[in-house]
Amino acid sequence: MIHTTPRGRRSVTRRGFIKGSAAAIGLTATSGAWAQSGDKVVSLLSWPGHGAQDVIGDFEKATGIKVQAKEYTGGEEMMALLQSSPPGTYDVVLSDAEYVIQLQQAGLITELDAGAYPLDDYWPEFQQFPAQYVDGKLFAIVVDYGFLGLVYNSSVLSREEVDSYAILSSEKVKGKVGMYDWYLPNMMCLSLANGNRPPHDIDGAKFEAVKQSLFALAPEMSGIGVWSSVFSQLTNKESLVMPGVGAWAALLLEQGGVPIKAVVPKEGGLQWTEMLAISATSQKQDLAVQLVQYLTSPEGQVKEATKSAYWASIPNKAGWKLLNEQNPKAAESLEHRLDKRNVMDEFKEGKIFIRDVPKQQSIEVWNEAWTEFKNM
Amino acid sequence: MVGTIPTTSATGGRRSRGPRGFALAFALPMPVWQTLFFVAALLFLIVMTFWSVRNFRVEPDFTMANWVKMLSAGYFQDTYFRTVWYAALAALVASLIAFPCAYGMAFKLSPSFQRIVASSLILPYFTSYLVRAYSWKILLTENGVINGVLGYVNLGPFAMTSNLFAVLVGYMTLILPIVILLQYFSLAHVDRRLIEAAHNLRCGALRTVIQVVIPSARTGLILAATFAFILSFGDFVSPSFLGNNKPPTLSILMVDAVKSGSQWPRAAVVAITMVATLLLVAFLAMAFAYGRKAESR
Amino acid sequence: MMSGRLVTLALRTYLALALLLVFAPIITSFIYSFDADKYAAFPWGGFSTRWYGEALADPDVAKGFHNTIIVAVTSALIATAIGFATAYTDYRYRFFGKNAYLALALLPPTIPAIILGLAMLVFLSRVGLSGALHSIIICHVVYSIPFAMALIRLRLGQMDRDLEAAAWNLGASEWHALREVVLPFTLPAILAALFLAMAVSFDEYAIAWFVSGFSETLPVRILMLLQREVSPKVNAIGSLVFIVSMTLVLVAQVMLVMRAPSQAAANGPRQGAGRG
Repeated sequence: MIHTTPRGRRSVTRRGFIKGSAAAIGLTATSGAWAQSGDKVVSLLSWPGHGAQDVIGDFEKATGIKVQAKEYTGGEEMMALLQSSPPGTYDVVLSDAEYVIQLQQAGLITELDAGAYPLDDYWPEFQQFPAQYVDGKLFAIVVDYGFLGLVYNSSVLSREEVDSYAILSSEKVKGKVGMYDWYLPNMMCLSLANGNRPPHDIDGAKFEAVKQSLFALAPEMSGIGVWSSVFSQLTNKESLVMPGVGAWAALLLEQGGVPIKAVVPKEGGLQWTEMLAISATSQKQDLAVQLVQYLTSPEGQVKEATKSAYWASIPNKAGWKLLNEQNPKAAESLEHRLDKRNVMDEFKEGKIFIRDVPKQQSIEVWNEAWTEFKNM
Repeated sequence: MVGTIPTTSATGGRRSRGPRGFALAFALPMPVWQTLFFVAALLFLIVMTFWSVRNFRVEPDFTMANWVKMLSAGYFQDTYFRTVWYAALAALVASLIAFPCAYGMAFKLSPSFQRIVASSLILPYFTSYLVRAYSWKILLTENGVINGVLGYVNLGPFAMTSNLFAVLVGYMTLILPIVILLQYFSLAHVDRRLIEAAHNLRCGALRTVIQVVIPSARTGLILAATFAFILSFGDFVSPSFLGNNKPPTLSILMVDAVKSGSQWPRAAVVAITMVATLLLVAFLAMAFAYGRKAESR
Repeated sequence: MMSGRLVTLALRTYLALALLLVFAPIITSFIYSFDADKYAAFPWGGFSTRWYGEALADPDVAKGFHNTIIVAVTSALIATAIGFATAYTDYRYRFFGKNAYLALALLPPTIPAIILGLAMLVFLSRVGLSGALHSIIICHVVYSIPFAMALIRLRLGQMDRDLEAAAWNLGASEWHALREVVLPFTLPAILAALFLAMAVSFDEYAIAWFVSGFSETLPVRILMLLQREVSPKVNAIGSLVFIVSMTLVLVAQVMLVMRAPSQAAANGPRQGAGRG
């Protein structure tokens, strides 16, 4: 893993920490500590990892803007926190693509000025990425993404065996199938396995079939869990194969010495996409814009690609170039080489579908099937 | 036994210059704090069960839809009774495992040892419950430490995760120390002379425990079991980490409701049902603890 | 006699085994905090202090620890004081609506933390009290009162009611009797309640996440470290916290014994049986 925290920077944050602690001693002072008027502080609400020093350290040093990060563990908690906190608490929001429309509908994020961001440097597929726009207006911008298909234990299963989702019901992995506890990636993968394209836009009969495929897996399951549980299951061979999980997890496990690999099976895979948006109530729009600009710039993109929490693919082509120069090994394992087959090829081949909420049914109908499945 | 003198506010009143001041100084802090900081949140939760979700936003409304939806769902009913059963089992198992410990502490250890054991029972709570549950996984999985060790003597492997056993182990991590402590505090007081008297009457050791020790410590034993029930009933970590979410308990169902497009009102329905159940259990337990004790006098 | 000794030995062994069960996950976490492998599995992957290095170098961990100490100590002090007052009220007075009164104290831990967290945030942000350490303290006091109250109430139930009455008869005021009779008698329970309330706060992450804004506590940090990367730093953090708290408790024990051995013995729960 890469930990690029030089000593100098660490001591800066430590000084900040001491200052912060001094304020914390007087309890009431703490509420003011992050809202001091003179300081340039921008707040970021994101999945774990994006607000860490290895991602935003250089930004803080170069601009003198302090990034205050709040991390969340689920999209709904993120939405609830945004809606219930005092207006202006959060400036920049990082969210999964499927929540962008929810954030927009709930009036929580504001329109972006397309000219302010390096969209021209993005791969063409990401310049017009649908989830970025609502009614033709730009509301969010992709910062990183990855593919989901199957992850499998490569010491037990061969690449050929996992070329199809059919492996999930094979005798070889009976009682050893795991899943991450979220209906969407799992049920969408099963929808792909049933031949539905796109997998989220299916009629009642096809949905019923997906439900049956899911229920049929009940006896194959070893566990459904949160991420730490998923990692533990894969490490301890409690689960040999999992649908709906991607390269980011396999890379972490593999770097940790566990023989786990990721594959997009022949029926296709999904794409998870993390996007940046600016809170509608932010009082610091200018600072928020600067942070989003940095994270989408080539430098910020390289940091995002190789952040210590999890590696990810990036949409900025100039970022790819920089990554290939600075860290060719990472470019190799992320399949971001410009001179050979890379992740954009899989995208072009039409195997990849954007993970999205169900179109013809409500979220709750799918999720209830998931609850029923867990109850089996 | 003591406690035959009914001490009421009237008695207290006669004895001090500022009787009401004294009584209020003790009676008021809790309701004041809870009213200032908790009652509003609780009322909000209750009111929210009648609200609805539009455009992924929880909005004021007056609808019974959430209640009807949740209470009529087959998976909710299954999960409800399963959770009650799990929590009751956890309370029972913890009480049974704990009793000899508490008894041993109270009667077979020197006072300084008692204090050391009592403090070391609180210590585990200072390490994160999440970390402890995560560690159990390393111990319990098919390729884990316990099965690994048993493998050397040609035993196993035993399935110890993703099942009721694993969930119970997790619950014990959460509740066993508290149950031992509460039981110990109640046993430590049991009047030694009662036990001596029983011995003098040639009452066997086991019979002494059942007929003398347990009845005198009844309040504490029931209180301990009640806490165990409450904590396991609402726990999310054990059924999720160790039970692998399958089958779910009510707390998992609540998280599922939230994931159904921010259905916080339905999660609130689950929560209020849980609160009502626990209040009922707590009052039944207390009535049992105090009521029967009064009868037996 | 022989069988009595055997019973004693058996009980002590059993107690040791139960303690082993309680400590098994902590010992495991301690052992794996030195594991060179990133993802813990059996067998062990070799010795390394890498995770300690990373945990100690992480400014967020240090900040979280600092915040947690402030929150835990403050909320434990307040919760124990309120818990004592409530327990004493329940012990001494009978009044109309007492069941409702006790229910108010008992309710908070019956509400699942994840949704109580949201409700507290909605309320606290409306009255301008959200987003800081004091927000967590407020919630943790609410949450810890019943634990403190239960322990102290249990101890009070063991006190001879005549003791306090005798003090009054000797001319002591209620406050005086409380200080000289009730407080010393309940001291062990008060200390236990303090520790338990601290422990409850030390382990609570769901409410803390919602109401704290950017003032993150250690359990919240651990929750985040268990997402995505699933960092083995958590084992190192858990072990460090355990060692620190264990040392504090041991020091407290030693000080208690050194300061007043006779008084400490008198405060032991074994004493103080009813003499009525």
